[in-house]
Amino acid sequence: MLHEYYKSRENKTGASCLNCIEKRLLIMIAIDSVIKKFGTVTAVDNITYRVETGEYFALLGPNGAGKTTVVRMLLGFIRPTSGRITIDGIPVSDPEARKRVGYLAEHHMIPYYLSGFEYLRRHASLIGLAGKDALMEMDRVLEVVSMKGREKEKSAAYSKGMKQRIGLAAALLGQPKVLILDEPVTGLDPIGIRGVRNILENLRDDGVTVLLNSHFLSEVERTCRTLAIMNNGKILVKDSIRSIIEDDQTLEDVFIKYAQKGK
Amino acid sequence: MNRFLKITGYTIRDQMRHKSFYVLLGLCLVFVLMIRGCYSGQYVVNGRQLDNITVAWYVSKIVFQVIGSGMFLIVILLSMKIFSRDHEDGSLVLFLSRPVFRQQYILGRIAGTWFLCLVFMFILHAAIFLTVRVKTGVTIPGYLTASLVCSVNLLFVAVSVCFLSLYLPDFISAVFTVGILFVGYISDGGYQILNSEILKTAVPSAAASPPALWRILYPKVYMVQAYADSIISHSGFNKMGPIHPVLNVSFFIILITTLILAVFNKKEI
Repeated sequence: MLHEYYKSRENKTGASCLNCIEKRLLIMIAIDSVIKKFGTVTAVDNITYRVETGEYFALLGPNGAGKTTVVRMLLGFIRPTSGRITIDGIPVSDPEARKRVGYLAEHHMIPYYLSGFEYLRRHASLIGLAGKDALMEMDRVLEVVSMKGREKEKSAAYSKGMKQRIGLAAALLGQPKVLILDEPVTGLDPIGIRGVRNILENLRDDGVTVLLNSHFLSEVERTCRTLAIMNNGKILVKDSIRSIIEDDQTLEDVFIKYAQKGK
Repeated sequence: MNRFLKITGYTIRDQMRHKSFYVLLGLCLVFVLMIRGCYSGQYVVNGRQLDNITVAWYVSKIVFQVIGSGMFLIVILLSMKIFSRDHEDGSLVLFLSRPVFRQQYILGRIAGTWFLCLVFMFILHAAIFLTVRVKTGVTIPGYLTASLVCSVNLLFVAVSVCFLSLYLPDFISAVFTVGILFVGYISDGGYQILNSEILKTAVPSAAASPPALWRILYPKVYMVQAYADSIISHSGFNKMGPIHPVLNVSFFIILITTLILAVFNKKEI
C-alpha cells in the first residue's frame, strides 16, 4: 500500500525517486484502507491518507462524518475493524506510538480534584519527564498557554476556556512530533482563539505535525495548509486548501458543497 | 519508574483525596476504640469469672473477623467506581493518550486500591493488637500475620467488583459481589460448623456429608478468614477439599484479572 502511494506521488510530481526509507521519514501519520464498523453502522469507510511531517492538516466534515472516530483510532482508543494506522511508522496499537503525540480532546476534562499543575505533572511523568526537567517544561507550556500563576488552583475552579488551555499545555508537553487537536477552540473567547492560533503558528517552525479536527472554518483556513473533507465515513477530498478553494469561493462554500454531495 | 507503579501511586493519592475515605477510616477507628472497654470488663460465665487475658483473646478474634469482613464493604465502595469515574472525570484519557499499556492502567488502578485497603485493614488490626497489649500486657502472636493473609481476600473482592463493573452499573456490580461473598460464607460457614469438634461431640450423628464439587471449587473467601483465625489461635484448620483456600482465592484472582485485561483490551473508549 505504501509503495503504491509513493509511486503515485512520484508520477504526480515527476520527481526522481528517493528510496522508500527516505520517503517514509516524510510520513508522520499513515492511514491505510481503514474501516470502522459499530455493529451494522460503518463509521469509517475504507479511508486512506497520509499526513506528512510538519504538515498542518485539517479534518473537516459535518457532524457524524466519522472525524472523531478517526481521531479515536489514531490514539488507540478504538481499534479499526480492518486496515492499518501508524504514527511515525509505529502502529497505533503500540503505546510507543503515543510517546511523541500531544492530544487535546473535544470536551477536555481534568479530574476535579487535581490542580492544573498536578494534571500537567502527571502528563509529564507519563512521558518520562521528571524532576527539574519536568518543572521547566511545565513552566514553558504554562507560559505558552498564558496560564502561569493559575496552575495551582483546583481544576474545579477553572472556566471551560482555562481547562481547554491546560489541556493544550498538556498536549504541548515534551515537544511532541504530532499534535492531534479535536475542536481545540471550542469554548474559547476570541482572545483564547487567537492565542491558540498563535501557538500553532509558532509550532510551525519546530516541524510539528498538526492534525486539526474543527468546525471553525475560519481558523482552519488561517492555520492549515491541507485538508480533507469527510462525510458518511468517506474522504471526499484531500488536497491543499489553495487548490480546493476556487477564486470566488470561501472554505465554507466548499465545505457545504462536499457535505451536501455526501448526502 | 515503571508506569504501572506510577499509576498505582496516583490511585492511592486519588482515593485518599475523597472525603468518604477519611469518613470510613474515622468510623472504623471509632469502632476499634469503642472495643477498648471490653478488655477491662468483668465477665462471668457459668459462675466462673473470666480473666482479662481470656476475654482479650476472644474479643480480639471476633473483632479480627468483623474488621476483615467489614473491609469487604470498603473495598467494594472504593473499587466499584474506578472505571466509571475515570471515564467521567477524564483520567482515562489522561492515561491512555500517553504511552501507557492498558494492562498497566488496569493493574495500577487495582493494585493501588488494594494496597490502600490492605494498609487500612492493617492499621485497624494493629490498633486492636496494640490495645490488647497495652490493656492486658499480652501479645497475640500471629495477629498481624493473619491480617496480611486476609488481604488476599481484599484483592479478590477488588478484582471481582472491577470485572463486574465493566459490564454492569456500579451499584449492581457491588451488590453482585456481596452476593458472591454471601453464598461463600453460607457454604463454607455451614461446612465449618458441621465439621466443628463441638457439634461432632454434641451430636455424633450429625456427620457432614462430603460437599458438592461446586462448593469445593467456589471462591474460598470465608475459608481464608478461617485460616487466618487458625493462625491467631494456633489451632488446626479444617479446609474443604484438597486445595488450600489461599491458593483457591489466588487462582480466582489470577483468573478474574486475566478476564479484566482481555475485556478491557477490547473495550472502546
